Amino acid sequence: MEDARFSSGQMIAITVLRVAVGWHFLYEGIAKLTAASWSAAGYLKQARGPFAGLFKWLAGEPNLLANADLITMWGLTLVGLLLILGLFTKLASLGGIGFIVLFYLANPPFVGYFYSIPTEGSYLIVNKNLVELCALVVVLVTGSGRFAGLDRIVHGLFGRQRIATA
Amino acid sequence: MAGEDKKGKGAVQAGTAGPKKLDRREVLMGLSTVPALGLFGYAWSRQRRYQQARLQEAAAQPVAAGDLQEINVALLGAGAQGQVLTDAMLRIPGLRFRAVCDVWTEYNQKRVVNSLRKFKHEVNGYEDYREMLDKEKELDAVVIATPDFWHEKHAVDCLKAGKQVYCEKEMSNTLEGARAMVAAARETGKLLQIGHQRRSNPRYLHCYEKLIGEAKLLGRIVTINGQWNRALTPDLGAPDRYAIPDARLKQYGFRDMRQFRNWRWYRGLGGGPIVDLGSHQIDIYSWFLGVNPSAVTARGGTLYHDPVTHEWYDTAMVVYDYDTALGPAMGYYQTQTTNGSQGYFENFMGDQGTLLISESEVHGARLYRDTNAPAWDTWVQRGFIAAPKIQEVQEKDDTAVTDVRESISPDEHLVPIVIRDPFHQPHLQNFFDAVRGKATLNCPSEEAYATAVAVLKVNEAIEAKSRLSFKPEDFTI
Repeated sequence: MEDARFSSGQMIAITVLRVAVGWHFLYEGIAKLTAASWSAAGYLKQARGPFAGLFKWLAGEPNLLANADLITMWGLTLVGLLLILGLFTKLASLGGIGFIVLFYLANPPFVGYFYSIPTEGSYLIVNKNLVELCALVVVLVTGSGRFAGLDRIVHGLFGRQRIATA
Repeated sequence: MAGEDKKGKGAVQAGTAGPKKLDRREVLMGLSTVPALGLFGYAWSRQRRYQQARLQEAAAQPVAAGDLQEINVALLGAGAQGQVLTDAMLRIPGLRFRAVCDVWTEYNQKRVVNSLRKFKHEVNGYEDYREMLDKEKELDAVVIATPDFWHEKHAVDCLKAGKQVYCEKEMSNTLEGARAMVAAARETGKLLQIGHQRRSNPRYLHCYEKLIGEAKLLGRIVTINGQWNRALTPDLGAPDRYAIPDARLKQYGFRDMRQFRNWRWYRGLGGGPIVDLGSHQIDIYSWFLGVNPSAVTARGGTLYHDPVTHEWYDTAMVVYDYDTALGPAMGYYQTQTTNGSQGYFENFMGDQGTLLISESEVHGARLYRDTNAPAWDTWVQRGFIAAPKIQEVQEKDDTAVTDVRESISPDEHLVPIVIRDPFHQPHLQNFFDAVRGKATLNCPSEEAYATAVAVLKVNEAIEAKSRLSFKPEDFTI
């Protein structure tokens, strides 16, 4: 990219990062949508940390839970699609960050917590959720959709229309 | 990004063309990540095909279905237990699902119908089982997993309509209901298998036939201890948008959605944990001992839950007396629903050995040879039991107090039967084998009736606060 702050190589790398995170979100969403009867209830019931009470309460409220399940399934899918396409990238990044913050807070790898759920690694404060969140922050602040993504077209059209009406 | 924005807008401004004339480079860069979506779609479709193939594989065993007479099956009651049975039946070859009946048309019925259609079973959904029996003329068998208080009506009507019936336990919430079911089975000459699925479990069959029957490894069984410890679980709910209209709930005997979802806790509908959980295990007591109990003493109560919404006892502690062919025996049983530690198991103690057995793989089955019993090497050689576990040498702890009267810990032998199928599959398989005339039922209604007599009496004994006796004729019809 012929930008003052980032080279094309740097912007391509960030775009690859954006697409990879989007891919992960999209599959997490689609896998839940196509599962026979996915629900966040199990995950929420295992909640730990300062917000455990809130998550467990949510698991016990069928109406709220049903909505939370829908929002999670469709939200992840939508965020994934938008990130891959680079459409409304900033909004999608923010949405993705919102989801991950919730996932992170439900089962945080804080000092003194011992989980019985098997994990594939060892974590202290920073886990893969947090790393993915940081990746989305990078995508958010660099606006990678306007480099390679539908945002570039949208912004082009938007800009021109403004000029046309000006 | 800010710098790029300026640049981008600058480029467009420089173009000054109409809305359709986007710079080619802009369009290409804009669409550059779309192929990633195509790649995702390809990978996902591959993944879907793989998963479908695995499901189909699991559903259809490599048995030549052509050699099997296909059995047309309907599921009556598509709740949690109905789903468990459906999952197990999908692994049994030669079954053709034709119908699913459930009054919760908004949710359960739809879920099971959709999942069966995925397996290419063309099923019709019904709310009213009578309509199903009227319309689905070609049905051979009906599998019933409705709430206990519906079993009598459902089973009797299905039998009278000429169907073979597999009905979940407890066969009824009343003995009158259970008797009517046995009578209908006898009258129609149709099969009625009750879902005490341990009766077909290879591990239980091995212990019953080989270890207790043939090798007599326990000697004379004198005491039994069985438990089902279930962790605290919140009551079931349902989203409002899936709620069953009040009129339909009332029509099918439920006060409201809460009662519908949690019927097991309500008098007149279910029997509480002693019936839901205890029934499975108390059934094994009589089976392994070869006799029905002669008396029962029980204490229990709603110690933890709200008695308004949990009408049946959440805790029960029971002692049965038995007069076995070898002498008297006693069986203790405990069920509680506030702590899941140790799960569920039955422990049979004889004068030569102990059998700790469970449907769960957590406990599996293990045998302990009592020190005065003859050596079991022959049975290890014949593969009835595994070689004894090597006892680890304990580090001496000088502060520990040892009592000279303490018994030496007995040898532990694992029972080499591992269950890889869903728990209910062998019992359903036995039923369908019987439908084809290739087996006899492992739990016909008469057997299940005797268990219902023993189990339903517990709630009576808790209320009476006294020891209640059984007469041998109580168990027969």
